[in-house]
Amino acid sequence: MATLISDDMFTPDAIADPYAYYGRIRDEDPVHWNELYEVWVITRHDDLVWLTRHHELFSSAVFKKDPRPAYPAIDESDLGLYEYVRNYQGDQFIQHDRPDHLEMRKVVHGYFTPKSLEEWRPFVQRAVKHLLDEAEKNGRMDVMRDLATPLPVLVIAEMMGVPEPDRPYIRELAEKLLYIGRGEHDRMPILTDGMKGMIEYVSPLVDERIVNPGDDFISVLAQGEKAGVFTRHQVLVNTSLLLLAGHETTINLLCNGTLAFIQHPDQWAKLKQDPAGAARLATEECLRYDSPVKSIQRIAFEDVEMRGKVLKKDDRVRWFISSANRDPNMFDKPDTFDIERWPNQHVAFGSGIHHCLGATLARVEGQEVFKALAERFPALRLDNEALEYQPSITFRSLKSLPIHWQ
Amino acid sequence: MARKLRVRVDHLLCVGNAMCETFAPNVFRLNDDRQSEAVNPEGDPEAQILEAAENCPMSAIIVEDAETGEQLFP
Repeated sequence: MATLISDDMFTPDAIADPYAYYGRIRDEDPVHWNELYEVWVITRHDDLVWLTRHHELFSSAVFKKDPRPAYPAIDESDLGLYEYVRNYQGDQFIQHDRPDHLEMRKVVHGYFTPKSLEEWRPFVQRAVKHLLDEAEKNGRMDVMRDLATPLPVLVIAEMMGVPEPDRPYIRELAEKLLYIGRGEHDRMPILTDGMKGMIEYVSPLVDERIVNPGDDFISVLAQGEKAGVFTRHQVLVNTSLLLLAGHETTINLLCNGTLAFIQHPDQWAKLKQDPAGAARLATEECLRYDSPVKSIQRIAFEDVEMRGKVLKKDDRVRWFISSANRDPNMFDKPDTFDIERWPNQHVAFGSGIHHCLGATLARVEGQEVFKALAERFPALRLDNEALEYQPSITFRSLKSLPIHWQ
Repeated sequence: MARKLRVRVDHLLCVGNAMCETFAPNVFRLNDDRQSEAVNPEGDPEAQILEAAENCPMSAIIVEDAETGEQLFP
């Protein structure tokens, strides 16, 4: 008899290999009701695309609308802190629906266009070079600690206009904000500590940029406040969003991509033949093959039928990038890492009106890192084969990635 | 008189972000799959069409001079 699919998404097996776990759900019950966490699990590529492009049926205001408690469960003594988190996260522009979302996105969209971000490429190149120069002296590095974490923080700190001496503090806050995607029952105090720290740190910067706007991202948000699109609290939490979203996701892209290259020497050899020419498509394949974000949630605006199931109004609906990007109905040999794959209509950045604002920035960082690694450290090796992932259903995050090349 | 443009959307790239509809609402419209289509290349001024193309996060919009074939974007 076939075994039932376990609804515990946090078992060591499901965390270590989400492709087997969610792949099985995709094949056996693609629109699956997870009884344990009371959430719909959407796993097929075509369903994910349909869902994300029907934003009028699925609300992004998850924190404000979801009437159910946090999951995984948190300590009862922290329920007050969870209210703080709901209010904080709920004010991010990505947690809004149209028409408000469009007005908010219009304020920030221009900062992240492919054309605007191409101007950041030289800065990214210099930052990568600097970090790899440091690593080269040691002959080894933890990709997570020495490259993937500092790079996006350097870029975002520059975008925010944060003075250099403050950057270690920003990194410290970012570490705490990462607890939003984690499962520990006692995560709330650390998370809210990071959130309050961000508000405290950014507030005087916003005060200043309201009066003396520059070309940084905080000034862009401050202009949004002047135009009446954002409240002050929204300016503050959206700054925090930039730090968090541009940080965790890029870390995962850089670590998971580097790991994929080490585990597939034939593809690594291909990249090394022409690092500058191959980096663009290779980065897309890294995004597909071991996607930085595993899943995102919505709340149903109304009753919606999908594959014969009825998703009820206010139901939690979670779409899984991890399974959609390995969907055999969409991708030829979906479990094969093929850096020349084209077309490659992966959904690592989601789809529709909420398609990741920072997608192009992540792409630039991925391209520059994979290119530089291939040029400089052709003999990459893992220090050990044992890899551990964070117990998260939101992020596909390694705990560390120690490597050497000599 | 303004020059005639040829405007296309590459559907292997388009993710339905729909920003083009905001910048040039008379040119771009989402189809049943919620991907953008250039339904009327003369619907809005050239500057607005180019702005829509620049603001496409996937650079999926291709704009050409209809007479000369010169690619104006990307």
